[in-house]
Amino acid sequence: MLDVHNLSKAFGGLQVTRNVSFKLEQGERRVILGPNGAGKTTLFNLLVGELKPTAGDILVGGTSISGMSVSQRSRMGLSRSYQKNNLFEDLTVRENLTLAAAAAQGKIAWLVKDSFRDRGVKEAVEEAAELVSLTDLLDTPVKAASYGNRRQLEVGIALATRPKLLLMDEPTSGVGPSMIEGFHRLLKSLPEELTVLIIEHDMDLAFDVADRITVLNFGEVVFEGTPDETRGNPVVRDIYLGDWQQDA
Amino acid sequence: MFHQTPTRSIVLVFALVALALYAIYGGYFAREIVVEIAILAILAISIDVVAGFGGMVSLCHGAIMGVSAYTYGILTAKLGYPALPSAVAAIGAAAVFGTVVGWITARTTGIYFIMATLAFGQMAYTVIFKSRWLGGDDGMGGLPRFDFDWAGIAMNKSLPFALYALLLVLLCYVAAAWVMRSAFGRTLCGIHSNEPRMRAIGVSTIIHRARAMGFSGLLAGVAGIIAGQHIQYISPELLFWTVSGEALIVVILGGLGTLIGPMIGAIAFVLLKHELSGYTDHWHIVVGLVLIATVLAGGRGLYGQIEHWMTRRKARGAAQNA
Ligand SMILES: Nc1ncnc2c1ncn2[C@@H]1O[C@H](COP(=O)(O)OP(=O)(O)O)[C@@H](O)[C@H]1O
Ligand SMILES: [Mg+2]
Repeated sequence: MLDVHNLSKAFGGLQVTRNVSFKLEQGERRVILGPNGAGKTTLFNLLVGELKPTAGDILVGGTSISGMSVSQRSRMGLSRSYQKNNLFEDLTVRENLTLAAAAAQGKIAWLVKDSFRDRGVKEAVEEAAELVSLTDLLDTPVKAASYGNRRQLEVGIALATRPKLLLMDEPTSGVGPSMIEGFHRLLKSLPEELTVLIIEHDMDLAFDVADRITVLNFGEVVFEGTPDETRGNPVVRDIYLGDWQQDA
Repeated sequence: MFHQTPTRSIVLVFALVALALYAIYGGYFAREIVVEIAILAILAISIDVVAGFGGMVSLCHGAIMGVSAYTYGILTAKLGYPALPSAVAAIGAAAVFGTVVGWITARTTGIYFIMATLAFGQMAYTVIFKSRWLGGDDGMGGLPRFDFDWAGIAMNKSLPFALYALLLVLLCYVAAAWVMRSAFGRTLCGIHSNEPRMRAIGVSTIIHRARAMGFSGLLAGVAGIIAGQHIQYISPELLFWTVSGEALIVVILGGLGTLIGPMIGAIAFVLLKHELSGYTDHWHIVVGLVLIATVLAGGRGLYGQIEHWMTRRKARGAAQNA
């Protein structure tokens, strides 16, 4: 479903993505691991079109999306959540989710009808709210929501677009153990046909949900394999020493 | 996000009825003031659509209004087409002009957007100012009013014309309010709040911002028709950037992003101007002081401030009852 082909990106002289290639099958759960600064977020920015690669190609379902804008890619079913919260700060939780659902359903320029009262939009909002456990907080202003709830909303916005390919950038960063547990359940409850690419630091979570794992270091893919293969790999051990010892 | 609250509806009806009564019983001078308020109110509402809801502070709305007035003048006075279809075409021209400016400037935000719209507005001003055919700085006369004689309405009289201008204020307000609480307005608010995220969820924000400038241009176009028909003469001054600046002051004075605020602002501005200019040539200073006061009070504007007090009192009341 996703075919990343020799993708490279440099900021001036700094090579941040080097010849990255990998493929995702439909419905696959892929976790990307790598130390800070490895170029994980940059890879996401390239995939959704927020950055232009210096070389390489990205194919979705066999067709190149490299020439498409961010919004075009989103309308094709690519949706992402951000490592750093990127919300509609002055609106409520419901309004955040509704904007996303309405946009994805193309209900953005009606002059007379209100997208916020549209049944199809409301269904997508309720569905996304349920998935990220925000049903009871729908009418809370984002400003008044806790950090954890904002983190949930960050993923909820991406889900409200009902994507085909969901990219999540460290959804559990900065949240406590109970909420990590919640994200774990969320990942398990996502529809099977949804393809998921997730950057995650929590090892238990990563090993449990991943079908395959890709490891990035200095912008390069240094390893790809099943969770079991990853555990035993010496290169990965080297890079991730601290974390892995805890885990083993 | 826009809400047409009951209070806003009441204020709207109350203001329009008061202006109508003022026109009916106030004589010729009152009717002139009412028309002046109507033109400014519609222009301010149209600016509020893009500035208050879309975060696009435009300094070319005077020019958009002028494009409509001049198109109307060309079609009627120069080319002899009938008034009604000419007005429709002129409003369409304003919408197209707004859309084009919106599309070209949509890649800019903040101060750069303001400067870009200023440049486009001044460009339109210069083109008309320099055009011999359009009368240059002498302007153009002979613009007709609508002919509603068949309905027994004499539009060349001051009272029917003032009431007609108020009717158009109502229509423009309802159109703006309706569109702001439809999908179109929701998307615009989303872009104002976080444009990059709007793109990420699939909105072509450039296209939508251009559309918003087009819709706003349409409303400004209506103001242009009234302005052209009012004294049946137009000059390039209509397009000068200070016209936009003054309307922007009215929006901020009344309450940005409320639609009703700009209308209240227009009433306050015009009345203040006429009351004070009897005493002093420096009435601008007083308007400036009122503006500074509203900005310092939180920037909600006259109407926004009152609404703020009301919701606070209600919240306090609810807290006491609980
Ligand atoms: N816009 C940018 N301009 C310059 N350097 C950048 C930019 N974005 C990221 N980088 C650099 O690229 C490297 C990888 O960053 P990032 O992709 O955020 O890593 P990760 O998400 O794996 O922690 C870092 O060294 C970072 O400083
Ligand atoms: Mg990162």
